[in-house]
Amino acid sequence: MKFVFNASPNLRQKLSTKRMMMELTIALLIVYAFSLFYYASNSEYGTAYVMQALILMATALVVTFVCEALWALFKKEAMIPYISSSFGWITAIILTLMCPVDTQPYALAIATFFAIFVGRILFGGFGQNIFNPAAVGFAIIFASFAGAKVADVATAATPTALIAGEYNWLTINDSMISALLGKYDLWTLFTGWYPGGLGETCTLLLLVLGVVLIIRKVIDWRVPVIYLGSILVLTSILGLMAGMSITNFYWYPLYHLCTGGVVFGAVFMLSDPVTSPTSKMGKCVFALGAGIITVLIRVLANAPEGCMYSILIMNMLTPAIEQAFAGKQLALRKKAWMTLGVLSVLGIGSMALANAAITPAEPKVPEKPKTVMIPMDDSYTAALNATLDGSLQNEDGSTTYTVTAEGYAAKEGPNMPNYDHPFDPNVFEITIAADGKTIVSLNPTVIKDTPYIGDKILNKKYLSQFEGKDISTLQEVQKNDVVSGATFSVKSSMRALLEVKKALGY
Amino acid sequence: MSLFTGSMHLHVPGYKELSDDKELLEVAAGSQVFIPLYANHSLKFDVLVKEGDQVKVGTKLAECNDRMYMPIYASVSGTVKGVQKRMHMSLKPLDHIVIESDGKMEQAPAFQPLDYQQASREELIAFMKEAGIVGKGGAGFPTYVKYEKAKEVKKLIIDAIECEPYITADHVMMATRFDDILVGILAMRKMAQAEEVVIAIKKTHTDTLELVSKAVANIGGVRVEAVPDVYPIGWERALVRHIMKKEYDKLPIEVGAIVNNLNTCYAFAKALLRGQGIITSILTLSGDGVKNPVNVHCPIGVPASELIAACGGYTSDEVKLIAGGPMMGKTIVNDQFVVERQMNAITVLVNHTVKPVACQRCGMCSDVCPVGLQPVRIAQAEKTKDKAMMEKLCASDCIECGLCTYVCPSKLEVTENVRKAKRHMAMAKK
Repeated sequence: MKFVFNASPNLRQKLSTKRMMMELTIALLIVYAFSLFYYASNSEYGTAYVMQALILMATALVVTFVCEALWALFKKEAMIPYISSSFGWITAIILTLMCPVDTQPYALAIATFFAIFVGRILFGGFGQNIFNPAAVGFAIIFASFAGAKVADVATAATPTALIAGEYNWLTINDSMISALLGKYDLWTLFTGWYPGGLGETCTLLLLVLGVVLIIRKVIDWRVPVIYLGSILVLTSILGLMAGMSITNFYWYPLYHLCTGGVVFGAVFMLSDPVTSPTSKMGKCVFALGAGIITVLIRVLANAPEGCMYSILIMNMLTPAIEQAFAGKQLALRKKAWMTLGVLSVLGIGSMALANAAITPAEPKVPEKPKTVMIPMDDSYTAALNATLDGSLQNEDGSTTYTVTAEGYAAKEGPNMPNYDHPFDPNVFEITIAADGKTIVSLNPTVIKDTPYIGDKILNKKYLSQFEGKDISTLQEVQKNDVVSGATFSVKSSMRALLEVKKALGY
Repeated sequence: MSLFTGSMHLHVPGYKELSDDKELLEVAAGSQVFIPLYANHSLKFDVLVKEGDQVKVGTKLAECNDRMYMPIYASVSGTVKGVQKRMHMSLKPLDHIVIESDGKMEQAPAFQPLDYQQASREELIAFMKEAGIVGKGGAGFPTYVKYEKAKEVKKLIIDAIECEPYITADHVMMATRFDDILVGILAMRKMAQAEEVVIAIKKTHTDTLELVSKAVANIGGVRVEAVPDVYPIGWERALVRHIMKKEYDKLPIEVGAIVNNLNTCYAFAKALLRGQGIITSILTLSGDGVKNPVNVHCPIGVPASELIAACGGYTSDEVKLIAGGPMMGKTIVNDQFVVERQMNAITVLVNHTVKPVACQRCGMCSDVCPVGLQPVRIAQAEKTKDKAMMEKLCASDCIECGLCTYVCPSKLEVTENVRKAKRHMAMAKK
């Protein structure tokens, strides 16, 4: 008969860390499966994309297992038990799911190595790391391999890249809003039917999995609820402060919520117990802090990636939060309320500051063509040769003069290679009314400048400016195009006018 | 559920069905009984008998006058065989008075019964002291001390919850002896001069709830309250928190509450009605390590081995033998320890070893801690011997309820680490 000694208590609950990690793994694989399904079933993409997603996952897992196996070998520990109780594959899967499908496998391999070796093993393995290892890995990809993309599996711009790149994360202009939502409407974003980080797109699926994990006690509800809640509230406040209408601002917080891996981060990364505070009040402060930082990074730094950095920053602050809430928890509740209150005020205040610091993006209005006035006594014009070839009296008493004037081709043509009719001037017909000074029309009949750009300037709009003008007092000509080279053709026509003016005796 | 704290308790499977509805098993003393000389952590006794003395059931064997008075009575009739050192349920080898039983169980009441309705409050308190009534909730604290200081008592709370798994002794006692128990309760009400008596019974024990509610229906100022099936709601502080929604600093009397265990009421009732000290105990023998889990009624001083034999013996060659319930009871590495006055259970569990993994800092231990401590962080501080941190984390306030180890998904010895921290702090103080 053997009586075993064991320090009390002698009962254990069923829930184990291993089971929690297995359930987390299953949840992550469901997210991954959705992503594969999206690329497989979308006609724009297809097999190459699915293969690429599979390669990425395989890369991350292989690097993880090799790293851990080597470390176990180095530490002279049994390999399989070490790997199975260090749960490194979760880091690998999370990291892969954060990457867009066009990420280079080698970039992911390097990032996984950093995540596993530097982010976890060097800290002492599972439970000891300070920073979320997947976030560490993704920071490496984001900072060092942003350009390392596989061209064959390129996708359209992701919603975060779109709103960060073209909209400064804030716009109150109705047409821009509808343009933005025209590309990715809220329902598309919610259901995840768009390209993005492999596992970050389907908000609906992530929320469902989050609820399941909360019910299964794998994660604590406080972190995702407060984090996502604070993002919704803060971006609503920002939107309203910026001047969105009270009836139509809701798209803005929802856009923030559904994009950029915020929900993925909330469910799978921020709630990682290892790198967040252990106490409930610590978790609340941690989540609220992360929410504020995410929004600030997005709108102030105008970066597409607010979530990952907010996680790393709050990981860094975790020891301080733990220290602040050390002691008896009932006695610390007041402190927790105060801290949360101060943080909320800071968050709302920072939104006011952000509102003052950033200007909502406005639509780009096409620039009006510059009007350039060229005086009649321009020296270049004077230097051009021109001859009055003849004049013809019309029935209504007006006179049409035919003038040959040098233009760009005649003047510069010899310097132009492959120009087949050098020295050829332009020919204009200028009609002057019976009063002898009012211009009826100016018509180019032969334009040798054509192969270049002359015909662009000698258009109807240009020509019509002369109609009804008094040739005797004509001081300047309006050139209504920004194309600089066309100036020569304008000057050619002006030279022709000067010739007529001379013939009329002014 | 609150935003800033965890539940501060947890539902723990009770396994009560193992012994719940079985008839109480009367176990007679064997050839010898061993009466432990132990009272509220004191070992300083004046032994009043010597080897060869003839004693009867109820003869005063010894008394303790160290800080608090505590008499010890004989539980069988027979001959005193001297004093022997034996393993005690507190895990220390202690002096036990050995009595060779003559099997006659001749009675000699140590004191006269008392009619509580006639007696004054002071008389009742003196009576309780003389009878040697201790808290039968497990701590073994002399009960009269609570009443000496009682003033403006709003609620006398009777804990009939039995939140420890496996234990059904109170349940059986209520089912079979509630008339006696009620005498004890009413006498205690008189001593406390309490405005109200609240008998707390687990929600899930519907049969007992009904029985007790009926029994007290016509008595003014006594009511039954159904409490949730969570552990450790039977802890004084947790019970006051639940019933009165109040926190106190050191003693429940600060918020006008006195808490007593139902078992204590029964012991007091027996003293009042029959002039008996605590000479027998009703305790639960349960767990998957014993063949026939059952509640037993036996004299104090009977070795555990005899009780287990009476219940059909062990089911496995490797068991954990626990004096008390599985959460707070201590494992003892032999079955020679005896039934003690405050003992309400012996739990025998088949030994299963669990392999721990690293702490994932999930904080579940902090969530369930009924004191609101952070066991995970106390354990960390203990690891680095950071005494200042242990103090900041109030490690010494731990009541060792064991819930942190129970809940730990990584299967770590959290409670034991907190105990180490407590010892570390106690050593540093000396």
